[in-house]
Amino acid sequence: MEKASVVVIGGGVTGIGILRDLCMRGVDALLIEQRDLAHGTSSRFHGLLHSGGRYAVKDAEAAKECIEENSILRRIGKHCVEATEGFFVRTVDDDAQFERKWVAACHKVGIPAAEVSPSEALRLEPNLSSRIKAIYRVPDAAIDGFRLVWQNAASAQKYGGRIKTYCEVLGIEHSNGKISGVKIRNVLTGETENIECDSIVSAAGSWAGKIAALAGINVHVQPDRGTLVAFNHRITSRVINRLRPAGDGDIFVPHGSITILGTTSSPAEQPDDTVPSTEEVLKMLDIGEALFDDLKDYRILRAFTGTRPLYSADPNATGRGASRNFVILDHSNDGLSGFFSIVGGKLTTFRLMAEKMTDAVCKYLKINAACRTALEPLIEDPPPELITKARSYFPAYGTNLAASRLGTSGLERVVKRMQDHPETRQLLCECENVTIAEMIEAASDSFTYSLSDVRRKTRIGMGTCQSAFCTYRSVGEASELGFAQDSTTLFKEILEERWKGIRPVLWGNAIREAELMRGIYGGSLNIQ
Amino acid sequence: MKKHLNNPDKCTACTVCVAHCPVAAATPNFRGPKMVGPALERMRLSQDDYEPSLDYCTNCKNCDIACPSGVPISTLNMLARAKYYKSFKPKLRDRLLSHGERMGKLSESLPAVFTNMGMAIGRKLGLMDLVGISDKAPIPHFVGKSFIKQFKMLRQQSYPDKVVFYVGCYINFNDPQVGLDIVAVMQANKYEVIVDEAFACCGSPLIVNGFFDEAKQNVHQNTQTLQKWIDLGYPIIMGCTSCLLMLKQEYQELFASEQVNENAKHLYDASEFLLKLHDEGRLNTNFSLLNERYLYHAPCHLRVQGMGLPALDLLGMVPGPTTQDVDAGCCGISGSYGLKADKYDIAMRIGRKLFDKIKASKIDAVISECGTCRLQIEHGSGATTCHPLSVLRRAYEKNNQT
Amino acid sequence: MTSRNILKPSPIPSLSVGIGLGDKWGDKIMRKSDIVVIGSGLAGLVAASTAAGQGKKVTLLAQGAGTLTIAGGIIDILGCLGDGSPANNPIAAIPRLAQEHPYRKIGVETVEEAINYFLKICQEEGYPQIGSCNQIQWIPTAAGTLKPTCIVPRTMDISSLEKTTNRIIVGFKYLKDFYPRLIAQNLAAMPGYGGNYEIVTITPPFGGRDLSNLDIARWLETDEGLKEFAVQLSQKVKRGSLLIMPPVLGTSPDYRILNWLKKNLECYLLETVTIPPAITGLRLRSLLINHVKKLGVKVIEQAVVTGSVIENGRCLAVVTESADRQRSYYAKSFILATGGIYGGGLIANSDQVIEPIFNLPVKTPLERDNWTNQTLFSNREQPFAKIGIAVDQRMRPIDETGTTILSNVCIAGRTLAGYDYCFEKSGNGVAVSSGYKAAMSV
Repeated sequence: MEKASVVVIGGGVTGIGILRDLCMRGVDALLIEQRDLAHGTSSRFHGLLHSGGRYAVKDAEAAKECIEENSILRRIGKHCVEATEGFFVRTVDDDAQFERKWVAACHKVGIPAAEVSPSEALRLEPNLSSRIKAIYRVPDAAIDGFRLVWQNAASAQKYGGRIKTYCEVLGIEHSNGKISGVKIRNVLTGETENIECDSIVSAAGSWAGKIAALAGINVHVQPDRGTLVAFNHRITSRVINRLRPAGDGDIFVPHGSITILGTTSSPAEQPDDTVPSTEEVLKMLDIGEALFDDLKDYRILRAFTGTRPLYSADPNATGRGASRNFVILDHSNDGLSGFFSIVGGKLTTFRLMAEKMTDAVCKYLKINAACRTALEPLIEDPPPELITKARSYFPAYGTNLAASRLGTSGLERVVKRMQDHPETRQLLCECENVTIAEMIEAASDSFTYSLSDVRRKTRIGMGTCQSAFCTYRSVGEASELGFAQDSTTLFKEILEERWKGIRPVLWGNAIREAELMRGIYGGSLNIQ
Repeated sequence: MKKHLNNPDKCTACTVCVAHCPVAAATPNFRGPKMVGPALERMRLSQDDYEPSLDYCTNCKNCDIACPSGVPISTLNMLARAKYYKSFKPKLRDRLLSHGERMGKLSESLPAVFTNMGMAIGRKLGLMDLVGISDKAPIPHFVGKSFIKQFKMLRQQSYPDKVVFYVGCYINFNDPQVGLDIVAVMQANKYEVIVDEAFACCGSPLIVNGFFDEAKQNVHQNTQTLQKWIDLGYPIIMGCTSCLLMLKQEYQELFASEQVNENAKHLYDASEFLLKLHDEGRLNTNFSLLNERYLYHAPCHLRVQGMGLPALDLLGMVPGPTTQDVDAGCCGISGSYGLKADKYDIAMRIGRKLFDKIKASKIDAVISECGTCRLQIEHGSGATTCHPLSVLRRAYEKNNQT
Repeated sequence: MTSRNILKPSPIPSLSVGIGLGDKWGDKIMRKSDIVVIGSGLAGLVAASTAAGQGKKVTLLAQGAGTLTIAGGIIDILGCLGDGSPANNPIAAIPRLAQEHPYRKIGVETVEEAINYFLKICQEEGYPQIGSCNQIQWIPTAAGTLKPTCIVPRTMDISSLEKTTNRIIVGFKYLKDFYPRLIAQNLAAMPGYGGNYEIVTITPPFGGRDLSNLDIARWLETDEGLKEFAVQLSQKVKRGSLLIMPPVLGTSPDYRILNWLKKNLECYLLETVTIPPAITGLRLRSLLINHVKKLGVKVIEQAVVTGSVIENGRCLAVVTESADRQRSYYAKSFILATGGIYGGGLIANSDQVIEPIFNLPVKTPLERDNWTNQTLFSNREQPFAKIGIAVDQRMRPIDETGTTILSNVCIAGRTLAGYDYCFEKSGNGVAVSSGYKAAMSV
């Protein structure tokens, strides 16, 4: 039977952050995730590394945490973060009084908000509407959820952390009011397994209620839906926030080659309520138009939905009213020692959340070790010679992003592959500039069980054509690499997942791309 | 024009542009318009890097013509080049080839024999090659007396109907006879031709070679000068389809302004203008029979203007053997592109189909509006070439000479 | 006199003609046509060819090179019906299609006529096709699946399957758009294709990025390339083998390369269907565009049609818009072959679909959720794929009551309502037959 001192449930950024912190403090820890890492909220958010401006007025404490963690993450996670800076923008329709309140609140909390003239703002961001009245620069940044999770995981593994993906928790074992283990099932093989452990941390986000229920404990997490829209290209090179009380559709975040607009808020039925609706999209476009005049002409690639795990001790608080602050629940108060849940919070402060949670667990385990997660970078910088060498093999615009995704050893392996097999220098995904060599690297990873797993590690299929071309190539490469699934299953896996996000935005150029996709796979290749 | 229109949003990655790109067909080094245009544009908006094969794009516009989605592919490519040249200085070779106007003006101050001799010597000594100009390529010939100089010596018949003739560098410095023929044809249609020295080079060679800021000055100069004549109610005719494309269309794509957009409405290709007269019942159709057999080559820059082939329609009115459209694709030279040492072979490969088809035909000459097309066709096929309005002039004047 | 859709006139009179004025100046002047065809995809080209072949003066307004290079040049007539049941004999299956289906409007006899007409053109142009509209052929794809089609070029002759059991899949090093292993795995399980597949890899003398079937096809068009290809193959394959390969046997509509290889290798060759660029489409397009030009069709490139001039239920002219001005094209009749939603003939906004040239009514499902099936592969038609313009038996647009809206305008190709070509495999078949019918009806 497998053993660990601590089992962490939940492979989102919080769980992985906890795993890392535990392992860096010398604790023997194992993480269980029901699907691929970042399956939950960590892959379905804005991509925004908050400066805290959004919380300054309503939740000063949360805002302070954000601005502090923001600078820490820029340092330790520089390969996940793009330092884009952000604007808070008030339009003619927004309340000037709120602006004053906001500026004061930012200063109080320590968020450097510097005013910019409308003409200067338009010079820097020419697509902004001419109806903007007041603009402030803040240190918002863009952060990639996938890379963040995988790089935390790599750091945790360096310190001995173990990770099991595609495993669901079936039961929490305890005796005499103390945690003794956890029972899991591998969803791919169907095999069940018992893991002996002294402590369990549930960082299950929107599923925290379900996990706690396995131990007969009530944790009131209300999943709240948020839908976001991905635009085909960068309409802004900075994060753009609407300067008004937080509402729907008022944040634009540049994310690699695309722009993300979000978000909405409504109670979700299930934690995995991830099907976006056209209504939500249209509502956001109506609102977003105030910041970008031509917004409705820009091409939408897809919509996607995640649930934010809102915790409230008060079962009646919902939506943006419920606190975004995090809470650590020690379930010894519920009669079960060694079982902890961490709920609420936001991605920007994950490291702090992990620190506090790890402090509590270590106290329980009587381990005395300081947190060092803020001191050490997640991954080391690839050496300049390696980058230079990589540039001679990678296509233009391909090296930097690949280096950020792969890290040093991954990049080394990819460069070697390109050297030995020149045909792998070609692009598998032409829209997002991902080479065949990198795809093979991701496909060969021990945590890759499907082509969707490959996608999440590489950005294949996330660009303009939404996998219309690279699906064929991915399936072709998969057959060369000996993937277990038959090709029809592989084709459908990729294309159905893309379809889910295209369906709600089927107009403009998205419907044309969908027709092309159907033409290729339905009409020409006759995938049934 | 909405500010967002030069973006890659309409592209569905369908690859039709790649299938019709003459450069991609001629060399595997060019990654094709889809990649260097809309695909990399998404990367360009977030990263600083440069795609080296962008250098191979000739700006021939065949990608725009083929695209089923209306993506501004060639515009994206030119803007990408402009961005590149902000950080990297253009080569001396490109400087020489893009400043034809300057060369022309310089050559005017010397006796022609010296200019051309100088070029020939430069070639023999391998200096051209050293600088990066191909020693096999057909270098345009410079004449002593520019068209404008000769125009000033002309005595035109005065008419109430007037038209402004934007000459362009090639006609002015390299092929002034064409300009004189255009004037003669307009005169035969009871139009007086006005020429204004305030016009500058259209800027096309400046843009493709990276001199964007200089081109902007020309844009400004030309826009002001055009506006002056348009305000007086005069239409503007042009004898070179690349200059026309630049002034009318590319100015809007690259430097849009109210005035630029407004001016475009008053610009005409010379043949197009004559057809317009014909529609109004005012064209002089007193053509003599011409016995010559001609092929017509449509410049790529004309085909992208969406007006069909007006010269071919016009030539169809001249009695004699029907002028056929050779319809064999791009000639390859693309302005200054085919003169470059590292691009000459590609240009010749692109034009091979056209040259072969011409050589296989029994014709007296190839007609084309574009000066550099004519140069390339002569070079690649050995055929004689002429401008459509030169043929028209002969048709008007033939009988008068007997 | 009521007029609809007259666009804002530009300050300088646009290059338009009064009706009849063009005729005054001799028959060489093509200012007014008999027929204006809008769209140079397969439907538009067949329509133009048919009309010109009948002696009509045709102007073809083209924006873009159509979708032949995307979808390919093989003619799918009908692979299955709306419920998914196979149509082994497409012609016989047509009467079982729903009333709104374009084939029902066109009529079975006319579909057959149209296909025969198409076969005739290909024959005349030196690129004879094989197949008939009565029988489905199952041809291999680059995914190792089979797709049902009817008319294919000789480079896709599946009768060679019966001639030998020695089957080889020919891949090319550096070519990323053709995966022999995937094909071999899947084909072996297909009816009629069972057996062992050997894989042979040819190395072209160039690498480079983003190599596609197009680059290989162009390599084989050169003498050196073809010889090198044959040399490498002959070292690896036995005489009499069947070579299954991507569509790389040249980009021209002829069998020069096929015949040379058959002769020199003494093997059978079979091209597969692939993802774009579809070389079979490129060949067919160049055949058709040359053909229509030979027939005297005037082709205007980059002609973006944005509106029309309508009077009393008849269209007088269509108007193009360029960087400089609008231009009007007058004709007695018009054929709209603008390629549906993909081609830009129909524009789908978030709340409705519009037809921008004639402002024709486009029926769409009321609720957005009803536009699509929940899954992409749903074993039934996708509702949004059937959106288009409804027509009468003469291919003229009709309104909800069935009344003809414009008496001298016909619709052809993807812009037609009532069929999901991806599901039922009927794309090029509808294009050819509707283009033919439209030209015969105006």
